[in-house]
Amino acid sequence: MLWIAIRMLTGDKQKFYGLVFGIAFSTLLITQQLTIFINLIERGASAVYSEPTADVWVMDPVSRTPDVNFPMPATALDKVRGVPGVEWAVPHLRAGASVRTSDGDLEGVSIVGVDDATLIGLPKRLIEGDISVLSQPDSVIIDDVGAGKLFENGADPIGARLELNDQRAVIRGIADAIPTFTSQVTLYTKYSQALNYVPGTRNRMTFVIANAADGITHEELASRIEEQTGLRARTREEFAQDGIDFIIENTGIPLNFGITVALGFIVGVAIVGLTFSLFIRDNIKQFGALKAIGVTNAKIRKMVTVQAGLVGLIGYGLGILATVAFIWGFSGNPDFKGFYIPWQIPLISCAAVFVILGLTGWLSLRTVLKTEPAAVFR
Amino acid sequence: MALLPENLSFSRKVLPIIAIGALVLAVIFIAMGLPDREQSEPEKEPPRAIGELANGARVAGSGIVEPSSELIEVGTALSGLVTDLMVQPGQFVEKGQPLFTVDTRAIRARAAETQAAITEARAALGEARASMNEAEAAIAEARTAEQTAARQLALYRGVDDPAAVSRSEVIRAEGEAASARDRRRLAETRLQQARARVDQANARIQSAQSQAGTTRTELSRATVRAPIAGEILAVNIRPGEFLSNQGGGNSAPFITMGETRPLHIRVDIDEEQAGRLAMGQPATVSPRGAADNQVKASFVRAEPQVVPKRQLTNTASERVDVRVLQIIYALPAEARDAFRVGQQVDAFIPATDGAQGSSGE
Amino acid sequence: MSQQVAITTRGVTRDFQSGSQTITVLHGIDTEIRAGELTYVVGESGSGKTTLISIMCGILWPTKGEVTVFGTDIYDLDDTALVDFRLENIGFIFQQYNLIPSIDAASNAAVPLIAQGMDRHEAREKARGMLEKLNIGDQADKLPNQLSGGQQQRVAIARALVHEPRLVVCDEPTAALDANSGRRVMDLLREVAVAEDRACIIVTHDNRVFDLADRILVLEDGLITHDGKEMPDDH
Repeated sequence: MLWIAIRMLTGDKQKFYGLVFGIAFSTLLITQQLTIFINLIERGASAVYSEPTADVWVMDPVSRTPDVNFPMPATALDKVRGVPGVEWAVPHLRAGASVRTSDGDLEGVSIVGVDDATLIGLPKRLIEGDISVLSQPDSVIIDDVGAGKLFENGADPIGARLELNDQRAVIRGIADAIPTFTSQVTLYTKYSQALNYVPGTRNRMTFVIANAADGITHEELASRIEEQTGLRARTREEFAQDGIDFIIENTGIPLNFGITVALGFIVGVAIVGLTFSLFIRDNIKQFGALKAIGVTNAKIRKMVTVQAGLVGLIGYGLGILATVAFIWGFSGNPDFKGFYIPWQIPLISCAAVFVILGLTGWLSLRTVLKTEPAAVFR
Repeated sequence: MALLPENLSFSRKVLPIIAIGALVLAVIFIAMGLPDREQSEPEKEPPRAIGELANGARVAGSGIVEPSSELIEVGTALSGLVTDLMVQPGQFVEKGQPLFTVDTRAIRARAAETQAAITEARAALGEARASMNEAEAAIAEARTAEQTAARQLALYRGVDDPAAVSRSEVIRAEGEAASARDRRRLAETRLQQARARVDQANARIQSAQSQAGTTRTELSRATVRAPIAGEILAVNIRPGEFLSNQGGGNSAPFITMGETRPLHIRVDIDEEQAGRLAMGQPATVSPRGAADNQVKASFVRAEPQVVPKRQLTNTASERVDVRVLQIIYALPAEARDAFRVGQQVDAFIPATDGAQGSSGE
Repeated sequence: MSQQVAITTRGVTRDFQSGSQTITVLHGIDTEIRAGELTYVVGESGSGKTTLISIMCGILWPTKGEVTVFGTDIYDLDDTALVDFRLENIGFIFQQYNLIPSIDAASNAAVPLIAQGMDRHEAREKARGMLEKLNIGDQADKLPNQLSGGQQQRVAIARALVHEPRLVVCDEPTAALDANSGRRVMDLLREVAVAEDRACIIVTHDNRVFDLADRILVLEDGLITHDGKEMPDDH
């Protein structure tokens, strides 16, 4: 009977492709929009994830995210180093500055000052150059997306001179980093050098990056640091989440994407629901005949389920394929750098497809189940 | 479809296969695309506490290497051109060893002048003495003549025979006596004058001699000597440069030296942390950028005064809102090669097991 | 002839709700249908003939009364058992055939076998044999819309007979056909559907084929007004 069900479904090509299109479109819309949404808000955490070594970030109690921060006195570093369980701790500076390019343009940049001695705080990989270039005077390393923004004409950034706070800065490396939410150009340099590039305030050290000794969890270390120093300590995961939460709370992004996802869902329900019920209505006589001949409601239910399942499988597969193609196609675009599809999202859209098909299937099935077999005689 | 009942149906066979293929592809794509958020170990060793400090109560601080005598910035008492420089950076000197000299020509000229004044005064003294002798001789001669006249007069007065002595003879004798008296008196005046001249000359000699002593002292001050035994750390002067003793303001010290055997480390401890510090315990220190080179430094003393944190800020503008306790540690002799005066170090010091320290355990 | 009794109805009454009104369509039908006979149920529209036949073949519950089909009180069965009973024992031929448009003739004819759980290919083979018996074996692989009305009718007949039911119910089999085709279909039905232990009920008002009946029941306003071999004269 299931074979008949599938034949019935695919026999009506218009409606079959309508259903597949509806599901595929919904899947694409939901998956793609959720993917962009997640990636966009995860930009709030990219500064944390770009720093590969930190277990715990320590900051002033009022600091909220990597970019919304308040500097601490320099002795905070020693306070953190004095906490038992801290294997090591290094200073880290993140601050905004304005850069004058060789063309004379003014561009806002984030300066990241990494520990002078160990260079802890740099991204994991450099596209060009080596981290040792920071030991040369006035060296900075630029992030790759920022390099594209700052040198739109395609000039080679390596060796380019910038003017930062009346100081000379020479780009000597390009880092492979995920851009932050604001897509600001990021310049990595030594902590001591960064102090010169950032317009002066009394305190400059914005973060202390600490690592836990063996046998102590990050959470435990963070609470220990908070207790002993009175500073705010967040584990890497917590701090990444802080950055994400900040964007969620302070932008309309969740609402906008939420609306689009809801639209995708509603469009899916509408297209699939209408088409499916049309399909069922067209076949109501056949279903009635089958019921009269002696097909139980349970079997009818199975038939409709198989029909929905086939539509779901094909539509979902094509929708996911389109999403993958979209993300893959835009992976070269700097605005989409580092975009990935979190594995939860296809599951979410899969669940949405289930809901759409379940809902519309159930509605359509109701008419079938309610059909009196006697109706075939009228 | 009638001819190929089940062999190839786009919607029933090809599409599901495409869909399943798409799902497999998507799984691969998603698995490959997941961001790399692995944590990694730093390439260079950051400073970390080792041994029992690793998980024990401790206080961290940053410090700076200095000589055990602290830095001595050698100055000069005299302004002038540098004429001679006797030491080089890195040289070990003994106490009192000359370091450099400033120009002495002016002082030497003054010395010669003084010498001439002494000679001249001495000549005046001789002259005065001669005229004194002369006056004394005149006094003696006048006295003799006076006595002779007095005796003759007395003789004449003793002759009763007025005829025996003519009246004129008596008058002549009286005149002679008076003249001798006058001469004596004149000579006596001259003697007094000569005496005064001698005194004057003596005074001049003394004055010139004391001036000569001053000049000699100045001459020795022009040579600057090492105040203690130690190592020359920096020399900022070169022969021919003019040195002023009027406080060069922000200019670098002429010569910096200090006793570098042993080296000391001055560690800044945040005043809030100071209470937890275990005084007297050795500290674990490592130079900046060479964290694996850890050395145990023995406690020397804690500075009695808490001071605003001034050093190690890496920036021109000082931060004065943080106050630090400075603690001095001595580096062992064998670590001398790894540390240089002025180098920054990271230090870990055991803490007394205060209420805060063990709270996390 | 002393045939076996196929269907017995006792006091079958059926009411329909129409708004606040209750319309009684059948007023206590008591009758028997015998196996081996071709029984016609004849009546005006609204006379209740469709209702009666629906109740007889177990797809419409009577308001009152009981129906026994080959010894089984079918409205005493639960839902699923009733459905299975229909699947095993009753063949249906609908007025509009109600063939599934997207499967070929053989598969359409095989539907009852497939529903019984038979393997699809085996069922198709059996159905193909039935179609050959009905002289449309060469059309077995065609889709219903590629067939003429008569051919579709034959496929529907094949579907009704393929699982060899003991009761065949046939709704207006000739309504959409011209006189010749209608006659041929009725001949065919007589030939293949009527058997020793099989009852065949045909609802029709096609007077061109009344002469082929073994028995004619005339229904008027919910009551059987005539029961005999021939049609009453006033029709």
